[in-house]
Amino acid sequence: MEEKEVSLTIQVPKQVSKKSMYKNSIYRETDKMSDLICENYPMVLVMSRFGIALGFGEKNIGEVCRQNDVDVCTFLTVVNFLIENKNEPITDVNKCLSIESLILYLHNAHDYFLNFRLPHIRRKLDDAIVDCPKDVAFVIRQFFDEYTEEVNKHMSYEEKNVFPYVRALLRGKKDPKYNITIFKKRHDQIEMKISELKNILIKYYPGKDSYLLNSVLFDIFSTEQDLASHNHVEDYLFVPAILALEKQLNR
Amino acid sequence: MNSTLKIAIVEPSAIIRCGMETVLRQLPGLRTQLTEISTVENLLESLRIHRPELLIINPALLGYSGLQSIKDESTCSEMKCIALLCSVVDPQILRFYDDQIGLYDNMAEIKQKLERLLVDDIPEVSENDEQQTLSSREKEIVICVVKGMTNREIADRLFLSTHTVITHRRNIARKLQIHSASGLTIYAIVNKLVELKDIQ
Repeated sequence: MEEKEVSLTIQVPKQVSKKSMYKNSIYRETDKMSDLICENYPMVLVMSRFGIALGFGEKNIGEVCRQNDVDVCTFLTVVNFLIENKNEPITDVNKCLSIESLILYLHNAHDYFLNFRLPHIRRKLDDAIVDCPKDVAFVIRQFFDEYTEEVNKHMSYEEKNVFPYVRALLRGKKDPKYNITIFKKRHDQIEMKISELKNILIKYYPGKDSYLLNSVLFDIFSTEQDLASHNHVEDYLFVPAILALEKQLNR
Repeated sequence: MNSTLKIAIVEPSAIIRCGMETVLRQLPGLRTQLTEISTVENLLESLRIHRPELLIINPALLGYSGLQSIKDESTCSEMKCIALLCSVVDPQILRFYDDQIGLYDNMAEIKQKLERLLVDDIPEVSENDEQQTLSSREKEIVICVVKGMTNREIADRLFLSTHTVITHRRNIARKLQIHSASGLTIYAIVNKLVELKDIQ
């Protein structure tokens, strides 16, 4: 099952298909948190980005969220949005959605990618390619560093421009020079280039078979998927929510 | 190169014109239908009548902007154009040409240039194309890209139009699934197209 998934992704590099191994029913706050995580393990990242730690015992989603001061509606909206894997903007924004909470989730995701995920892959990659020719190792590292810098720019823009704009909007202040459509238009698919590195390693890596490099490859696969999901949340959940908020304020 | 290739040679010097014609006729594996044009005055009319696929022309006859207007006015916009170099010509002019032939080119070089142009004629690689290996022209372009050259600079260096360079780059990206310059750099180093010292 696992292997089949991977080979499928190599053939269709542009759009990673939804994994059929996950249960894709809609979750409610009365469902157990541990069921959600076991049935859809990438949701452990969502949980963590809302600030919820492991070790929640038999509690249901609502209980765990309240215990951690997490907005239940926003948590479930993100979880169900990702599980449904929608490829278009949501049409009606749930009234109970807390935009403040959604921003915190996105911010924590940025922190995860920039301060943990990418540096972690970089260190592993470094170790994995020690045996390959020096010049090849050099350009691979260079590629990765350039990519990290691009992700950094991409996310910093959101942190420095989009989030402050939206926070002001929540306080009822509309910046006359900015709107969320500007962001929508310039928002690019940040996972494309890391999938390029994946293709290059798969097709052209000149070194020997290596457990560590395969492990890096798996990390890249999952990071690519994770970044794509992150962008989906921004494009199809966050942006429509802000558009609705802008409309409301203009009335 | 199985079918007959329609070529027009435009050159005022009869010696050079006939020489070019003789060389083309002697090229192995190339069947040609040649038209000789000796003056610019007859050029448009001849092109409209014969509709050549390839124009071999002395660039001094057309000057800076002449080539494009000739292509437009004769409605032969798809026609490939080779500059026949008999004297020193401003590289700015040569930019408009797909390639060039010099008086001292040998048969093999001329044949290679024609083949390359005709291969270029198969433009876009389709999404499902199985072929993944790069042509020698595409490799040349990869090398230029990883050295940091712009499309314009690549066009000047390889005597192509920028449009052709862009088509090549698009085909390279589709074949390799590599879109960025830094990704192409890894490809070029791994496949020994360049050395690290060439790109630093």
